[in-house]
Amino acid sequence: METAFGITGKGYVLIASDTTAVHSIVKVKTDVDKIKELSPFLLMATSGEPGDTVQFAEYIERNIRLYHIRNNFPLRPPSAASWIRRSLADSLRSRKPYSVNLLLGGYDVSTYKPHLYWMDYLGTLAEVPFAAHGYGSYFTLSLLDKYHDPEATVEEGLATLKRCIDEVSKRLVVSPDRFKVKIVDKDGVREIEV
Amino acid sequence: MSIMQYNGGSVIAMVGKDCVAIASDLRLGVQSLSITSDFEKVFPVTDRLFIGLPGLATDVTTLREQFRYRVNMYTIKEEREIEPQTFAQLVSSTLYERRFGPYFIEPVIAGMQKTPAGGYAPFIAATDLIGCLNFAKDFVVAGTASEKLFGVAEGLWEPDMEAEDLFETISQTLLNAVDRDAFSGWGAVVHLITKDQVITRKLKGRMD
Amino acid sequence: MASASVYRGAGFDFSNTVRNSFLEQRGVPLPKATSTGTTIVGCLFKDGIVLGADTRATEGPIVADKNCEKIHFISDNIRCCGAGTAADTEFTTALIASNMEMHALSTGRKPRVVTAMTMLKQMLYRYQGHIGAALVLGGVDATGPQLFTIHPHGSTDKLPYVTMGSGSLAAMAVFEAGWKPDMERQEALDLVTAAISAGIFNDLGSGSNVDACVITADRTEMLRNFVKPNERVEKERRYVFRRGTTAYKSEQIRSLVVEETVTRTGEAMDTS
Repeated sequence: METAFGITGKGYVLIASDTTAVHSIVKVKTDVDKIKELSPFLLMATSGEPGDTVQFAEYIERNIRLYHIRNNFPLRPPSAASWIRRSLADSLRSRKPYSVNLLLGGYDVSTYKPHLYWMDYLGTLAEVPFAAHGYGSYFTLSLLDKYHDPEATVEEGLATLKRCIDEVSKRLVVSPDRFKVKIVDKDGVREIEV
Repeated sequence: MSIMQYNGGSVIAMVGKDCVAIASDLRLGVQSLSITSDFEKVFPVTDRLFIGLPGLATDVTTLREQFRYRVNMYTIKEEREIEPQTFAQLVSSTLYERRFGPYFIEPVIAGMQKTPAGGYAPFIAATDLIGCLNFAKDFVVAGTASEKLFGVAEGLWEPDMEAEDLFETISQTLLNAVDRDAFSGWGAVVHLITKDQVITRKLKGRMD
Repeated sequence: MASASVYRGAGFDFSNTVRNSFLEQRGVPLPKATSTGTTIVGCLFKDGIVLGADTRATEGPIVADKNCEKIHFISDNIRCCGAGTAADTEFTTALIASNMEMHALSTGRKPRVVTAMTMLKQMLYRYQGHIGAALVLGGVDATGPQLFTIHPHGSTDKLPYVTMGSGSLAAMAVFEAGWKPDMERQEALDLVTAAISAGIFNDLGSGSNVDACVITADRTEMLRNFVKPNERVEKERRYVFRRGTTAYKSEQIRSLVVEETVTRTGEAMDTS
């Protein structure tokens, strides 16, 4: 089942997401990348209705890129979050709304601060120290409550993330077998093997 | 469960002697799952005017953006700041315009209104989700804990409280009411407005 | 797009309806608009009419406002009591009051009660009962004292004594027992007070105080809180908390400008 989580630490945001594509009761694919790299310092993990997630993520990705090209600098995380929220809220008022929940992780290069945003398909936006979507959230939010440290190093952050992944693998009925993890910090976005 | 209870949250405003206070809890949840404990629902409009927006969280953000925009337009066109009384009418008509497709928000307004004599008088108001104004002289409440807030406030509020006494009364009213509400709580914030200053305090609350 | 626009059209905005019905089909029930239990009455007497209302506003089982105003201004010589959805009565009467003023200015005559009644019924009929306003309209014009009731679907009645709202049965019982033609002002006012009081004490949706309004050919007298039978007694003891009871984690103080003085510097501009 679909699960995504994100945690902030000292100067970075980690985002993890499962990699399975499901159709009815069939696992179609196990290496899907659900974490889009929106800009050099912005990550977005999506979950929700299969077609909608990809469509919406690409729409956001292209528009963030367009902004970057037009203005020569990318949208900063708080502004990007606001704009994505507005897109979702407007979509919700259309005939066929996008059913997409997402986590947005970014590093603000002008204030040197990491930002993590939790957003759902209704257009609910909250900046959080850690977050989760999907059934995995019922297990991992309690873990993160106990182990999250905003001053943690990348190694410590990854250890906490590992706990979450282990817990989901152990307790969730149909647990995803692989997780993709990406990080964004002062050096930009990149994938991390766990 | 009603859409008004989906994200949880409560707001209260009270009148004191030459002061007003407005307070909210800090929880944001999705039904019974709590997402964050720093989701503020009270926003500044002008120096001496605040609005609390409890209800569906997506509409909290949408309406805050819309009110900020319309207050800015008012300020530019009129070349003066909006008064609480005027702002209450703006809120009311914005909500009633959507009578047949409402925002799921029950706003609470608190501020200091300029008097013709040049002083400031306390002002509070609340509306329902389609903009029916309620100008109370004592206190107004809204949100998932509104029933409890009504009860506690009715017992604790009294006329002409000094600012510091008003702070204690509004804080204790809110904290004790949200402790009996599963969808509100997780800390609180209080704004105390007098004619010459605004004091904002974050309260310690139960985290269960 | 639901983006805010500088120029706003008149009338209702339906941009949220698609979303709200989408949410409804997802299984979350939409809240009902707040409706008020009420007792409102009106009665004819020798020189004019008396309108009456209670002052309780309810949200379901909760008393939301203990002293609200239900007698709305239409024009100098016309008033309107509202029952039903609180916001609807408020905005409908405000709109008609505005249109009546425009009408009076364009015709150059004092407005008539039938005009207000026709405007109200035509508007309510157009909205097919979705605007939940039940009204008692009264006033004195060139044709003498007039009293109407207007139902949410747009039907109207013209009667010598009328009641509406959840307390209408209790109030009507009082009218049926006590009303007679050509009463004196004081008699009529007492009867209206008794009718509203019957609503206040026998109907749970009505409560608090009696508002009344006496309209005669030469003047309109608004008697706000005419009778206060449910005054709250002063508390025997104070429940103020000792200062410092509430623990707070952080405090931020913003000092505001209260007075400003302008100090002129340099020479005044040469305007010769």
